[in-house]
Amino acid sequence: MMAAMSTGGGEPGSQAESRTSRSPQAMLERRYARLGLLLIAPSIVVFSAVIIYPLLAAIYLSLFELYTPTLEGGFVGLSNYRELLARGEFWVSLRNTLVWTAGTLSLQIVFGIGMALMLHQNVWFRSLARSLILFPYFVSTVVAVLVWRWLFNDLYGILNHLLVEARLIDMPIDYLGAMPNAMISIILVGAWKYFPFVVIAVLARLQTIPDVLYEAARIDGAGPIARFFDVTLPQLREVLLVIVLLRAIWDFKEFDLIFLLTGGGPVISTQTLSLLVYKEAFALNQMGMGAAYGVVMMAIMLVFMIFYIRQARKGDSS
Amino acid sequence: MAGVEFSRVRKEFGGFTAIEALDLRIEEGEFVSLLGPSGCGKTTTLRMLAGLEFPTAGEIRIGERVVNDVPPGQRDIAMVFQSYALYPHMTVRRNMEYPLRKRGLPAAERQASVLMAAEMLQLTELLDRKPRQLSGGQQQRVALGRALVRDPQVFLFDEPLSNLDAKLRGHMRAELVELHARLGRTMVYVTHDQLEAMTMSDRIAIILAGELQQFAPPQEVYRAPANRFVAGFIGMPSMNLVDGRLAHGSGSWQFMAPGIALPVPALAETAVAGEACLGVRPEHVHIGAGELQGRVQLVEQTGHENIVVLAVAGGIRLTCRTPASMIPRMGDTVDFRIDSERVHVFAPGDTGPRLNLPA
Repeated sequence: MMAAMSTGGGEPGSQAESRTSRSPQAMLERRYARLGLLLIAPSIVVFSAVIIYPLLAAIYLSLFELYTPTLEGGFVGLSNYRELLARGEFWVSLRNTLVWTAGTLSLQIVFGIGMALMLHQNVWFRSLARSLILFPYFVSTVVAVLVWRWLFNDLYGILNHLLVEARLIDMPIDYLGAMPNAMISIILVGAWKYFPFVVIAVLARLQTIPDVLYEAARIDGAGPIARFFDVTLPQLREVLLVIVLLRAIWDFKEFDLIFLLTGGGPVISTQTLSLLVYKEAFALNQMGMGAAYGVVMMAIMLVFMIFYIRQARKGDSS
Repeated sequence: MAGVEFSRVRKEFGGFTAIEALDLRIEEGEFVSLLGPSGCGKTTTLRMLAGLEFPTAGEIRIGERVVNDVPPGQRDIAMVFQSYALYPHMTVRRNMEYPLRKRGLPAAERQASVLMAAEMLQLTELLDRKPRQLSGGQQQRVALGRALVRDPQVFLFDEPLSNLDAKLRGHMRAELVELHARLGRTMVYVTHDQLEAMTMSDRIAIILAGELQQFAPPQEVYRAPANRFVAGFIGMPSMNLVDGRLAHGSGSWQFMAPGIALPVPALAETAVAGEACLGVRPEHVHIGAGELQGRVQLVEQTGHENIVVLAVAGGIRLTCRTPASMIPRMGDTVDFRIDSERVHVFAPGDTGPRLNLPA
């Protein structure tokens, strides 16, 4: 497909080259090319200022040992990276990041699809439910986390209160200060906070699946479960690819929710790479080291994304 | 093989009655078209037969079995939809195989059925393509193939040709007729296109506002329409319908309208003098000689014939056919006659019954 398009697009160009450069058509083409450059210039300028420059700056900074408040220090080459890879804290944080991302992302997807399917049914409270479901996504992270910290509190939290009342537990549980509770808690709160995004995207796609496909499947003898796997899920595939990609990126670099909920604790049990970058750069004032962590984070994401997009393309063409 | 029977079937959507009380008996192996204008209930009828809608009252039978409460997948029917409804993520092969897979047929049998159907529909080359890589006509054939592999008791078609261009439509009509002849299965075909209904069906059921108007072979529907609606609906260009009065005198009936006075053939006993409607097919109005006069208002040349619209007194317009060689001049006043042996007389009202004695 791509090859066919590129050869198709190449022909007029090569014809134009064979003509004399002074021909009216060649001049016109050059004018169009100039106009094109002019039109994309603003985007390039903005893109460079907000993406390319910070990226290069981060790579540059990571080669220095810098004291954050003054940005003074010396060039150390790759030693930040050598040190980083030798540190246990990096590997622990990487593992935490992966656990958090995989855990919260899969819950978001499962709950998101489930809720979208429910809301897609003809239930009388549908429109109300559709707006309520967005609430966690819209509420500010700080507010949401404060509420959850109250709910989780071991002295006056309602969660412990109810569980004790129901005689399911004897002693209040420490949700945020012990492991693995803390990791499970942030994963659950993350899932609660971000699953509405999945709901909205999946619901939008569900509404565009033609009813006639379900009718054809019913006539072909497919029951409700077969219809879900043979009609609904394949139709959701493309939107799910996008959702998983976006949510994976966002969850991988999630900072505020985890920072506010556990601060990375107990000790560093829920400290993800984002929290580690923050700690190095602004708590320990090691800007160079922080930048190095940031660059490594980006590299990991890049590898993951390239692999993911490859897989997605492969699945699409088969 | 099985026939289909609707007995006193009624369908309501909320307060709206889509089907009044339908009685329809389709014989084994028959090709029946459900024909009518949009919203007449023909698609609802088909969907009830498919099990996609449930009748409010009455009984639907496929063969001997009452299927009112039988889910679509267990009715032993196959349906071809207007939009084809192919599963977009499956190849042609998988699409055609799907109903067999859901019935738990072993792979070898599935393969054999798919290959046979593919060969019949010239789809063998396309088996590994996805629907989006096919043209409309090819998709249509795949949809047909998915119905074929099932070898169902009854085939249902919901306006399957209306998304195709005119030429392909003609081609597919012929293919469907051939397929019906080869398989001999019962086929129920919904359409709003009278040409499709006329050319393909053994019998046509004409439906208006949820009520069956006539159920008869195409020629009978054309030659002896049951009522005024059927008369006007079937035929291109449509039948001339002239409102006027019926008078009885000296043992024969006379129809009168401004500029027209015509003896009409024997009528049924239900005929009474007074308001009535005269129906004349365009081919039964002859320009040239005759006792009637009209002004040529419009001439449409179609190549093999001409369609001429005559303005008669009292704002009455008559459409007639003339041979290709005879092209009247617009604005001229011409003599014409109506073949009074071939006219129809209808009682007043939109669905006023035909009063002619059966031939």
